[in-house]
Amino acid sequence: MSPQRHLRLSLAVVALFLAMGLWLEAMLGLRSQGLLADELRRELLRLGHAHGALLGVLNLGLAWALERLCTPPAWAGRIRIAALVGALLVGLGFVGGGLWHGPTDPGPLVLAVPAGALMLVSSLVAVVLLRPAEPPSQ
Amino acid sequence: MATRNEGRRASLWLFGPALGWLALCGLGLAATVLDESAWSAVERSRSTAVGSERCAACHPGEHESWHRSYHRTMTQRARGEAVLAPFAGEQLETLGFRATMSGGREHPHLTVERLEPEPGTDPVLLDVDVELTVGSHRYQQYVALVDRGGGPRERWRLPVAWHVELGRWIHVNEAFLTPGGAWGEAEDYLRHLSRWNDNCIFCHNTQPVPGLDASGRFDSEVAELGIACEACHGAASAHVDRQAWPLRRLLAGIAADEGDGSIAQPGRMSAARHADVCGRCHGNRIAADLAEVLREGDGFVPGHPLSEVSRPIQRGSTIAGQPGEPFTERFWPDGTPRLSAYEYQALQMSPCHLDGEGLGCGDCHTMHGPEPVMQLRPGHASAVVCGRCHEPASLSDAGMSGGHGRHGEAVACEGCHSPRITYGLLEGMMSHRITRPRPQDLRGRDDQPDACTQCHVDRSRSWAAAALAAWARGETPPGPDGQAPRVALDLLGGDPIQRVLAAHALTRPEAPVDPRTRMAWLVDVLDDDYPAVRWFGFRGLRRLAHAQGMPELEAELAAPGVMDDPGLRSQLVLELRERLGPGALAHDPERREALRQRQTHVAIWIGE
Repeated sequence: MSPQRHLRLSLAVVALFLAMGLWLEAMLGLRSQGLLADELRRELLRLGHAHGALLGVLNLGLAWALERLCTPPAWAGRIRIAALVGALLVGLGFVGGGLWHGPTDPGPLVLAVPAGALMLVSSLVAVVLLRPAEPPSQ
Repeated sequence: MATRNEGRRASLWLFGPALGWLALCGLGLAATVLDESAWSAVERSRSTAVGSERCAACHPGEHESWHRSYHRTMTQRARGEAVLAPFAGEQLETLGFRATMSGGREHPHLTVERLEPEPGTDPVLLDVDVELTVGSHRYQQYVALVDRGGGPRERWRLPVAWHVELGRWIHVNEAFLTPGGAWGEAEDYLRHLSRWNDNCIFCHNTQPVPGLDASGRFDSEVAELGIACEACHGAASAHVDRQAWPLRRLLAGIAADEGDGSIAQPGRMSAARHADVCGRCHGNRIAADLAEVLREGDGFVPGHPLSEVSRPIQRGSTIAGQPGEPFTERFWPDGTPRLSAYEYQALQMSPCHLDGEGLGCGDCHTMHGPEPVMQLRPGHASAVVCGRCHEPASLSDAGMSGGHGRHGEAVACEGCHSPRITYGLLEGMMSHRITRPRPQDLRGRDDQPDACTQCHVDRSRSWAAAALAAWARGETPPGPDGQAPRVALDLLGGDPIQRVLAAHALTRPEAPVDPRTRMAWLVDVLDDDYPAVRWFGFRGLRRLAHAQGMPELEAELAAPGVMDDPGLRSQLVLELRERLGPGALAHDPERREALRQRQTHVAIWIGE
């Protein structure tokens, strides 16, 4: 994945989950019982909105860091994919687990959240540990 | 080659853990779906209780709403906030005995002494530490360990209770429909000293086991004090075991809407089975095997028919070894219960219940709503509940002024179809038998109230019948017919329940009669032989005095001793008579006297 595409998609992820925040506010304003009367759903949708938006911003930072630190290209492209997919899995895992859930626990889609979190953590650790392909220009 | 290897290493590092996790989850979910034991029917009768704290871990919302309820506080350890009475040295003198409540809320203690002991005899009748509280809504009763032959774990309900609304002590005799008793007679004073182990334990606790052994000693156990989760949902150990595996819980929402069968869900039961769960306590019963019940508990499993372990007490019920029909006084002649804790029977008699296929407890009540008083569903309105089957436009006289019933917004469905003809806990309560008001069927009878005259307290039953007939013809209802008001007849000559309900009807704010007139009539019951009837008179007068802005009278009625001391009471009656005017049927003293005489022929002795 190219750096430009990573930046564009990161901004798209931020926009997606911020728009979801607008939707949640609208549901609250309209006193939607599907949201208000279901505490578990409300909590998970909030988590999805907040995590998705924040992890989108994290991807923006990561895109900048990958360039700044001259991360080897064989890693950089995969880190971009892993970080973006990770952000989406965390955000959408919470949302899916909240939309389709059982009486006491989230639905099985919430299992995607740890998978996304693992990808993000692996990506960040890789960026921290990897030596630059070329020394950064002063 | 090096770049390809580097790429593989990167993919493994970045995606390996996540893919491994997803593979594990997939395997786990598949194994859970295919595991028959995770989904097969559960034999709940072998479950044991786990306690409400375990339920809170997964059901915090339900636990919180239950925690606010009067069900939870039905029985508590008598310590701290659980104790509503001050126990700060208050005294209550009744029938020649003085009860002293001391020790504060942390160590509540009760002493009862004779006011005039025989020389050389011990004046102390009771001297006990309070161990448990029972109730917290209308009044709170107290329980102590007292060995009266049932062993060291025998507990007894004490003879005094704290009335929450009035913030004062009452003798429990006042809450029962029995005559006052003789001065200085310990037997009368302790008449309602009820044993907890084989009475209160059943409906005021969770999974009660009286533990009566062959020698007559009790070793009683309860899973939890008060009415906790497992009283309605059944013992939950099978449910907890089944739900211990997280993937099973994650799949629960997809698996089935009916639940997994490991726990009873009254909200998903038929009206009949749901009513069975509530009727276990809100419907007095006769056990199929009383000896077994006193040993091991009632054996009821929520979700199973209540009839498996007992039969509901009806007007014509009999008990082996007892002559006649011992329960007739608890019902009106048409079989409608006239005491609370018979709501189950009343619902079963309602045509709307449709033999268990129609209206049920859950249509009006929810145990997990925001409001603990009456536990009605949020936004409950009887017109909405009734309207589900009874299309408003299809009801008789719906098109006329005032709509069906012609009372407009002033009277809801229950005003006429579930009148307040039930006594319990020092209250007049609405009947849970839904009926059509038919005063014409009760003309010439003195043994049952009707919905119309319980509200139109200054009118006769013949007026009510004529008014209904006029409405049916689309005519204006007639004016007063000069006949004696039904409520006045009940107040002066009814049996104790009729007198209580008449006094309660006179107190209701919606009664369309001048409050001063109603107050004057209420004075008639202040010297009644039954403490409970007097109590209704005093409380009614206090409420009306408050509503009328008569603070002096209100204070006079609440003065210490005035309810209990016959001398003070007689003086008060004379004063009130002068101040408020004549009582009911004062223009016909002979009839008043005849009705008073009738009271003695309709004496009854029944419980709460």
